[in-house]
Amino acid sequence: MMYSKAEVVQAINMSLGAMHCTRCADGFEPNEKIVNSNGELWHTQCFVCAQCFRPFQDGIFYEFEGRKYCERDFHVLFAPCCNKCGEFVIGRVIKAMSASWHPQCFRCQLCAKELADSGFIRNQNRALCHECNAKVKAEITGRYVCQKCHGLIDEEPLRFRGEVYHGYHFNCTACGTELDSTAREVKSRPGLAANDMNELYCLRCHDKMGIPICGACRRPIEERVVTALGKHWHVEHFVCAKCEKPFLGHRHYEKRGLAYCETHYHQLFGNLCFVCNQVIAGDVFTALNKAWCVHHFACSVCDTKMTQKSKFYEYDEKPVCKKCYDRFPNELRRRLRDAHENTMKKNV
Amino acid sequence: MSQSTVSCLPPKMSKAKKVLDEARETGECELDLVEKGLVSFEELPGLFNMSNITRLTLSHNKISLINPGIANLLNLEILNLSNNQLRELPVSLSSMPKLRILNVCINRLDNLPRGFGAFPVLEVLDLSYNNLNEQVLPGNFFGMETLRALYLGDNDFEYLPKEVGQLKNLQILGLRDNDLLELPREVGDLARLRELHIQNNRLQVLPPEVAQLDLLSNKSVMKMEENPWVNPIAEQYLLGISHVIEYLKTDTYKIIYNRHMQGGRSGPPPPKADKSKKASRVRA
Repeated sequence: MMYSKAEVVQAINMSLGAMHCTRCADGFEPNEKIVNSNGELWHTQCFVCAQCFRPFQDGIFYEFEGRKYCERDFHVLFAPCCNKCGEFVIGRVIKAMSASWHPQCFRCQLCAKELADSGFIRNQNRALCHECNAKVKAEITGRYVCQKCHGLIDEEPLRFRGEVYHGYHFNCTACGTELDSTAREVKSRPGLAANDMNELYCLRCHDKMGIPICGACRRPIEERVVTALGKHWHVEHFVCAKCEKPFLGHRHYEKRGLAYCETHYHQLFGNLCFVCNQVIAGDVFTALNKAWCVHHFACSVCDTKMTQKSKFYEYDEKPVCKKCYDRFPNELRRRLRDAHENTMKKNV
Repeated sequence: MSQSTVSCLPPKMSKAKKVLDEARETGECELDLVEKGLVSFEELPGLFNMSNITRLTLSHNKISLINPGIANLLNLEILNLSNNQLRELPVSLSSMPKLRILNVCINRLDNLPRGFGAFPVLEVLDLSYNNLNEQVLPGNFFGMETLRALYLGDNDFEYLPKEVGQLKNLQILGLRDNDLLELPREVGDLARLRELHIQNNRLQVLPPEVAQLDLLSNKSVMKMEENPWVNPIAEQYLLGISHVIEYLKTDTYKIIYNRHMQGGRSGPPPPKADKSKKASRVRA
């Protein structure tokens, strides 16, 4: 849409015989005022609006299909009206959705973003931006929208930091290969709990770093994982250090970095009281390869309680207080003494 | 329990009775009657009605007979009759439902009642220093599956019945100071055994199965001195128990053992020292 300004010149030095009016084709009288507009000549009475036949105000006219109109008539006849605000559109007109718009009036009907420069998509007779269109479409089809390119995701999406993406926008943190939906997000690595520290790895690299390795056979654990002693184990490889039978979910006991079944833990570490045969919860008395709870550490002959300081004799690897030992048959005492002395001699 | 007034009691009330009275008053469950000069359970009136007691210790007395009524003590877990003069035990003992520890060491037992092995929950049985041998063990003796410790030291066993292998829970087997001429191969079945006392017997060889036992751990005890071992064992023993165990595992030893058991050698070693001085031999 353009308007021009015409020039009025005095026809003095021109050869009038060769000139004629563009509208009526008649010649010009000498000294008559002639209008010159872009090299075309007009009688002043002929240089008028094609609609109202009145001269152009300030010589400003609008030309459309070879005819000239005054500003008012041109607007009335041809200028576009904005479909939103109803005003004439002067300057840049956006023709879209079978209507005209001011650039600032043509916006996404969902997010109200200006669409003049980014383009739009017609969706159920609405003008939508690409993002909103993709969202709407995804909602309808149940598909995901990539948060990077806003396109629909046809296959399985790649999930990352709580959003979905096309896998091909990312590369493996370790080997750099392009990713797909099988990529693994490594969350909260030790000391890094924040979501934005998460990283993506291809399955291969993830397997190498993330899949637990059995502490016994050093092979990856595909099925159930037992975690104990600060390591991972195949269920069937987490066994008693003594009898090598798997615990299979049964209780195990840890001692010096090794795991034991109940039987062997108590057998090896003597935590069953010799008298009550119960696990000793509190203080443990240990002597003669046995253990006693506080309540049951006593002379094996008279059942008199003994303390840490009590002195006792050994009889068949059981403690006997001096009082009882003195009441043993002389003959037995003599033999026990001899046996003891022989053992001492042998050990020297 | 109605007791007559104090004034009616004999002037010298026995110490044992005092203990019983006190226990009845306080509800004490553990009775200590050590060295009270007791000869018979008659001196402990009302004892068998005290069904709440869990431990009865009668060491260093002169009791020669246990009244079968003792089985009324349904809650008794520990019965200690060490150093008495028992000649026999009542079969009713074996029916006591909670008895876990029975200590009758240093007595004069020369037999055990028929059906003795019927204890439902017995864990520790000390029969050491008596006059027992394999002939007098009742048929069900090794049916005591709950047994953790069996002390048979200072008796007169020459052979140990092979049924000993049935004692699956046995951790301690004391056979010190007997007349054992051999051990059955079934000792090797005692998977939980961690103490084996066989010192001072007449053993020349050990069954190779002994090597299966866990006798070398830090909680294990193997006492085997003072036996007339065949030379190779005696030599290994000088180096240590672990050498003996390793040697028992060798094929060489298996050959030696088999040859020995086929009786190629001269007769059994002679009996050990005279036992007639043993206190358990004293005749009433």
